[in-house]
This record gives sequence, C-alpha cells and structure tokens, in this order.
Amino acid sequence: MGGSRKHAAAPLANTAKASTSSATSPQRKTGGLARLLFPVPLVVFLLVWLWAAWWQGDAFRMVRENSFFAPDTLLMRFEMDKSYGILWTVGRALLTPFRYPWLGGALLSLMLTASCWLLGYALRLTPRWRWVQYLPLVLFTGLFTWQGANNWFEAESGHVMGIPFCILLILVVWGVIIRSFSHKPTPAIFRIPQDETPWQNRFQLLTVLLTILVPAVWGHFYRPCVRPLAKEQVAVMNQDWEKVIEVAHAHAELSNRPMAAQYAIALVQTGQIADKLFDIRLDYDKIHATGYNEDTASTVTTGMYLMECDYHAGLVQTAYHHAMESMAMEGPTLRNLKMLCKASLLRSEWEVAEKYLTILSKVPFEGDFVEKYQAMLRRPDRVNADKEMARVRLTEPIHDAFENRFLPPVFLGYNADLLEGRSIQALHNALMVSIYTKKMPDFLFRSQPLRGTTPPVSFAEALLLLSGKNPEILQQFSNLEMYRGRLTSFLEHTRQYLTTPEERAARARELFPQYKGYYPYYYFFGNLKATKKRDKAESSNAGVN
Amino acid sequence: MKTLLYIASILVLTACGRTAVVPTSFSSLEEQADIYPDYRDIVIPPNIAPLNFQLRDSLASDMVVEITSCPAEGTTGKESISLLVAACEEELTLRLDTTEWRNLLTAHRGQSLQVHVYAQHPTGWVRYRSHTLTVAQEDIDAYLSYRLIEPGYEMYRQLGLYQRNLTNWDVHTIYENNRSYKSEDNHCINCHNYQNYSTEKMLFHVRANHGGTILVEGDKARKVQVKDSTILTAGVYPSWHPKHPWVAFSTNKTGQTFHIYGEEKIEVIDEASDLLFYDAEKNEVKHILRTPEYLETFPCWSPDGKTLYFCRAYEPGLVEVPDSLKAPALLQHYDSVYYNLMSIPFDEATRQFGTPRVEIACDSLHKSCTVPRVSPDGRYILYTLGDYGQFHIWHKSSDLWVKDLECDTCYALTEANSPDVDSYHTWSSNGRWIVFSSRRMDGNYTRPFIAYFDRQGKSHKAFCLPQEDPRHNVLLLKSYNVPELTRDAVRVSEPTLRECIYHTDGEQAKYLR
Repeated sequence: MGGSRKHAAAPLANTAKASTSSATSPQRKTGGLARLLFPVPLVVFLLVWLWAAWWQGDAFRMVRENSFFAPDTLLMRFEMDKSYGILWTVGRALLTPFRYPWLGGALLSLMLTASCWLLGYALRLTPRWRWVQYLPLVLFTGLFTWQGANNWFEAESGHVMGIPFCILLILVVWGVIIRSFSHKPTPAIFRIPQDETPWQNRFQLLTVLLTILVPAVWGHFYRPCVRPLAKEQVAVMNQDWEKVIEVAHAHAELSNRPMAAQYAIALVQTGQIADKLFDIRLDYDKIHATGYNEDTASTVTTGMYLMECDYHAGLVQTAYHHAMESMAMEGPTLRNLKMLCKASLLRSEWEVAEKYLTILSKVPFEGDFVEKYQAMLRRPDRVNADKEMARVRLTEPIHDAFENRFLPPVFLGYNADLLEGRSIQALHNALMVSIYTKKMPDFLFRSQPLRGTTPPVSFAEALLLLSGKNPEILQQFSNLEMYRGRLTSFLEHTRQYLTTPEERAARARELFPQYKGYYPYYYFFGNLKATKKRDKAESSNAGVN
Repeated sequence: MKTLLYIASILVLTACGRTAVVPTSFSSLEEQADIYPDYRDIVIPPNIAPLNFQLRDSLASDMVVEITSCPAEGTTGKESISLLVAACEEELTLRLDTTEWRNLLTAHRGQSLQVHVYAQHPTGWVRYRSHTLTVAQEDIDAYLSYRLIEPGYEMYRQLGLYQRNLTNWDVHTIYENNRSYKSEDNHCINCHNYQNYSTEKMLFHVRANHGGTILVEGDKARKVQVKDSTILTAGVYPSWHPKHPWVAFSTNKTGQTFHIYGEEKIEVIDEASDLLFYDAEKNEVKHILRTPEYLETFPCWSPDGKTLYFCRAYEPGLVEVPDSLKAPALLQHYDSVYYNLMSIPFDEATRQFGTPRVEIACDSLHKSCTVPRVSPDGRYILYTLGDYGQFHIWHKSSDLWVKDLECDTCYALTEANSPDVDSYHTWSSNGRWIVFSSRRMDGNYTRPFIAYFDRQGKSHKAFCLPQEDPRHNVLLLKSYNVPELTRDAVRVSEPTLRECIYHTDGEQAKYLR
C-alpha cells in the first residue's frame, strides 16, 4: 500500500517539473512546424467524429434503424427486462441521434474522447506513455469494423453505444475517486499540452491516426460490402433510388444478396428492372453476417431485405407478415415498425397504422416520418398519391392466394407464378424472375403479351438466345435482330469456356467487366447456383411432357 | 428502503396532484365523448379495477370527469349526487384512484352511475352528453390468465403466461420463456387451462425445445409426454374434467399459411385431428375418437362431467390422400371446411364414451363453429361461429353465439360482438360474465373484452380490460391470447416451472389400447 502511494506520487512530481521546464523552454520560443504541439484530445475528437459520421455514418444509421428506443417504460419493457437491460436501453437511447450521423458521430466521439482522456488520467500516464490512453480506441473502431453488417443484422443494437457508455461511466467514477483522494491535476483537453515534447506529442497523434486508419483499411479489404450496403439501405429508406443505383454500379463487382436486393428495389421503383438488373455481378459471395442463426451461409441474410422486397414487389400483406416476424424475433425496431405502418396504410387498416405512428411519434427524431404518414390516415387518396406507394400499388396481386404457392427469388417478389397482373410493371417483374432463374420456357410463355412490340433490352437478349431453338420468335417480336451481332461475337468468344460448369465458374469473374449488363453472359456464366437449381428441377421432371 | 421510496413517491405525487373542480360554466354538446377505450354505457362488475380512459378530442387541452348517481326515474338531472370528481393527467388521460373507485362501486352495486366528461376547448369548457355505467350485482372472478404474444405468425422468441388481478393493476408472471434468443432453448408455450376455475390444477404445453405438457397441482409442477406413436401429435386443446384429474385433449396436425391479398391474413389448416382422454393421476392416455374421415377438435366438458362437447368437420376426401398432400388438398377448399358442434356422453364409472351426436349442424348453414364452452350452470354453450375453418381468431367473420340447451335455440351475442374478430372466450364461475379475445380495437392485436351475460341469457356491450395507463392498448405490441378466468391466483412459482421445463424430460404417458 505504501509502495503504491510512493509510486503514484512520482509522476505527479514529474508532470509538475516537465510543465515548468517546458513553459520556460527556449525551444518553444523559437517556434516552427517541427516544434508545434497539438491538443491531441481535440484531434481525437475530430478524427473519431469524421470516422463515425462520414466513414461509417450509414452503418451507424442502419444500427439505429434496426434499433428502437422511446422514453416509455411500457414500450421499453421488452429490453429492460433482459440481463443488463437498462444498460442496453441507455445504449439504444444514445443511438437515436444517429438519425443525423454528424450529430450521433459527435456524441460518440465525445464519449470516446472523454474515455481516452479519463483513462490517461486514471492511469496517471506520464507524457512519455500518454499514447497508451488512445489504444482502447482501436477496440471500438476495430470491433465495429470487424462486426460489419452484424452490427445491425439481428443483433442487440444497445451494445454499440451501451458498452462505450458503460466504460465511460466506470472511468468517470474512477476519475472522480482519484480526483477526490489524490487531487491529481487534470491534463489539458483543448489547450496545447505543456508537459509533452514534440516527439511525444507526434507519437500520440500517430497512435490515434493508426487506431482509425488501420481498421478502416482492413475493413475496406475484408469487409468491402459493409459501407456500400449500408449506403444502399439508407438510400432505400430515403427513397433515393438514383443513389442506390449509383452505389450499386460503383460496386458492381461486389456480389451479395442484400446489395442485389436493394438494387433490384431501386430498379423496380424507377422502372428499369428489365434494363439494368444484370449490370451488377449476381454470383453472391458470402458476407460476414450471421444473425441469430449463427450461420455464415449467405441465405441467412434474407432478414436484411425480405420485408422491403415483399413491399416493393407489391406483396404488401407479405411485407406485413415478415415485418411482424422480425418484430417477434428482434423486438420492435424502427425498420419493422415503419414497414408495419406503411403496409397498414396501403391496406387501409387505419387504426393499426395509427397505433404504429403513435409509437413512432415517441421515438426521438422521427417527427418527419410520423408527420408524412399521419397525413395519410383515413385518406386513401393521399396513400395512392404517394410516389412510392403508387408504384407498389401497380404490382399488387389481383387475386388472393397463399404465400407458399409462390416462388423465390424474393428480391423480385414472388411473382414467378404470376399469370395475371394489374400493370405492365407486374408483367416485367414476372418476366425478370423467369430470366433471372433461367427458366426460359416460363419466360417464353409469359412473354406473349409483349408480342409485336420491341421488348426491353434484357428480354430481347433472352428472346434472341431462345430463337436459336425457336426461330419463329424472331417473327413474333420486333427488332430482335439488332442484338444479333453482339450475341454472335459473345458466343464465339466464350464458346471455349462453356465446356464444364467448373470452367464457367472460373471464367465468370474474368468476363464480367466485359459483359456486365449482358443477359447471355448472365445466362451462361452468372449466378451458377441458379443454373444448378434449374437443372436439378428439370432433371427431376424428366419424362414429363 | 422500498417503503421509504414508496412514501417519498406518494408525497411527491400528492404535492403535484391537481385538485379537480367541475366547471361551473360550460356549453353542452349533443354527442358523447370519444373516449379510449370505449367505456360508455356498459355493465361492469362491482369488483373491477378503475376504468381509466383517454379523451380523444383534438380541441381539448384539459379534462375533468364527474361521476354522479343516476337520478331516480321521473325526476330531473338535478337530483343526481356528485360522487367522484377527477382531473386528467398528461395526454388527456384519466387515472382514477383505486380506493375511491372501489368504494364507489361497492356502494352502488346493482345501480347505475352517470359519467360526465368536461373538456376545455379554446372557446371554453364543454360538457359531452353523459354516459352510464351500470354496476352489476355479481362479481367477476378476480384473476385472468392470458398469454402475450405477437399477433401471428410463424416465429417466436419472447412470450409468456401472465395472470392479472382484475380488481387492481397487479400482473403476475406465471411463466416467461427466453428474453434473449437462444436456439437451443427457444420454446413456445400455449393452451393454459384450469380445472373448475381453480388454480389447484392447471396445465399448459411447451413446444419445440424442452417440449412436453406441464401439469400443475398447487405449487408443484411436472412434465409429461402425452405423444405416442399411435397419436397424431402431442395433446393440443385441453379441457379438465370438472371432478376428476382427467383431461380431454384434441390432437391436431396443423399448419399455418398466409394470404397475400384481401381481408384475411392467416389460415391455420387442421390436416388431421382426433380426441384423447388423459388420466393425469395414472399418466395414461387413450383415444376417445380416432376417425380419419373426421377432424375433431376443441373438447369441452359439461359442468357435471357427463358430456364432452367438441367440434367436428367431415372430410372424407382426406382418407385417400397421403399425409404430405393433405395440407395442399385442404387449401384447395379451405373456405368450405365446416365444423359442427358435437357432444358425446361419458360414463364416469366405466370411463367409456357413447356415440357422438350433432348439437349444431353448422355445415348445413355453410358456417363453422369452434371453441364450445359450457356455462357453469350447464344451460348455455358459448361458441364462436365463423364462415369456415377452425381458427376463428384470424377470421373477421367470427362472432360469439350461444346455444340455450334448455330451449334448444341458438343466437348471436349481438350486443357483445363487433364487426371484427370475436373469438376465444371463457365464462366466469358464476356464469354472469364472459371474457373473450377481440381484434375490434385495431383489427390486429387481440385484447380481452368483458361482457355481462344476464339471467335472461342476453349479453351486454363488451368493454376492454381496464389498464392503469389507458394508452397501454395502443403501446403494447403483443396480443392477449387465450383469456381464462379463475377464482384464485396461481400458486406455482416461475422458478419451479422453469426448473420443470428446463431440467426434466417428462414422463411418457402409457397408451391404453
């Protein structure tokens, strides 16, 4: 006990001494860039703010959207009754400013900067060892980057801000105890530190830079889809379809189901599904997202887009169903509550839509959403006038049926069995499902309403491909011949690679930049899992005419 | 410490409390106040908790409520006596003092009260047309058990069985499964049921992990496995024999499917079902009915224990269909599957059942009935009638009906019913109250509704289970499921049930051929 007191007193004396000596240092008087000292905590604050708001802002926004907090004990009971529920509830509350990432980022940065500063104070670090206090930063930036989409996919959202809050709280208590008993002076936050040499100061800055840069660079290579995915999801929420398409095109070679789903939604909303779906690679690499299934299979990520895909495919009731499943498993989240609300409005279920809006009105920063949709209550004319909802209406089913009669892929809706639709958009969706799943006889059968017209590009390319075996197709549809030249050259170029499935798989990536957006490329080289599935289904039907 | 906190909070509340004053100057409105929940012109039990409500009036900034006695017949309103005055709290919510309320109802048992709602509008105070609360002579059983679960669907994580004291705000957790998802522990709980309105004997099922049927006797619990290779599935819908430790179960192979368009959301298809007789004392089970061409479900004993009522649909086409195709086959004509109300005599001495007989031939009306419940005096069978199928909690056409066994007549409980779902129901032990699930509030979330059933067999307007905070029904994102009334509180503790569920496999019932 006595020893530790003695040990504790030494840095105090050193600090005082260093402080005095630097104040009178002739070097400081000479000035110059090499001698310049930076207020490191201020730099930390600015860098972390930049990282949280700009670099990872969309990811934090998605964590918030997959979270729920309202200052109401009844609404939060589902969370508060868990182990450490109060802490996670506080964590959720602290997430709410991420509605505006610069605001949320400032709060997070403030918490982390304060934690680092308090750690240095609590550990009584001398200027020489002061860089150590910034090392825990890497725990947060590193863990957040490593977690990637798992931060917001079927995860406890309260952890993201709850754990830093808990650490801050402990450090505050620790700091208060030290301050109360040892009266140790607090180091500078915003002032130029007087007790550090320029090298010590630079080393701290370097440490801070590395704690931000290393995870960022690592994430860029090992979690490449996280930021674009978050960006797309936020853009879908904001109904900024052009932004989704822009991000998807900028990352066309990244291939995973959630991103493809957001892209398809944007194409459906802008009426471009039949022209642009194949502009991105659709081979579906695995992404690091496990959810509560604790399985890394790529299919478990369905929960990231299922309800939105149902909704934008016109399957409003199915969207409601899947939003409710999400609520059962994860509790209420802004994402599932908003979907439940929109689906209820489209179904003219005013009372329950009002219920969801009442709940959302208690969530900080959700005023815009509530105001927009509150105006639609008991006003079907306003629902139908909403641009997004009007587009959804176009592909709603005409007749009732059961979900299990319809087939995936979900990101285009379950329209694969569609025989009647209420619009040309619904027909396009159904045709896209057929060519996406490479079920060409289904496609040909469903494309009959397009006879005598010039079909959209992907359909024309698919029809031309089919005309090899059915030459009469060329007479049934207009202007198919204009695609002949490209098909011939494509087949000549790729014939050598069409020998085995393995060879196709090996060449797919290499050929993509040259043929992206071209349906015959997709048919032969893209999404080979779909090819396998189709072949399996066809062989099981062998003998049936 | 707790006491100190309690005293402190009382002091704070008292210090902040508002003194309610009935406005002396106001203009009268023709319409009644739009209050949530709707407690206007209803018959209430004398032991019910305060009927707190929220005023829905966008112009109002304040509210005062006055309860007066009803003027005697032939007199003017001036003779009424002011009995209780209360002011609203935040968001125009009225929270009445429990003691004052209880005293008021006790003193006016069998009488009517008038509720006057005053609202402060920008132009001054207004008074809505008053509404009436009629205090019945008969109490309602003090405890209501129910399950809280998200409305629908296939997946589940956190759900629980709870018991509410209807005379105040106390809620006791009977059992709750996992708060956080753990795949190895995830389980569903359902079909809680009591013998004769007493918690001395109860049961409920656990499905998926840690599965089995939990039998409770007093404060002890044990798990049993009723399923046998000859039985379709484990026991499902239960009914305790009123006198003996016997349970009639249905055993059902059911599956859910989801509509993609239209009014209805979910269909639950019963592919195959039979009836079982289970002796809880001997842990023995046998079939009551095992008929491939019939679907039998929802058993219910008569109060004398000599008759078992149940519902049955005739589906001869299913006999030839392989098991894997039964659900698709039923889905082809799901909206023309009709269940009749049946009865079968039972001899307690020999434990033998007689021949089933049709009580209500719903199929001839192209209707379907489910969940028969016999009144404690044995005179009425309360059931749900819908257009088709057996899972009426998801059918908007479902309404409550009764069959008067004395007069052999059937009629709808029109005053208690609503245009939305009105289904799963229970009698109070004195037969004067019924509690049932209804989706009338928002079409999605079921809430328990209470209705008076008078001596003439007539129902009265139903009202929602009162809550301390009247906004509860808006903010709660779960449905109240399977309401069951009991006279006493559940005695078995949650840790005992948890221990039984998690750490016992369950004794296998012996099947009697």
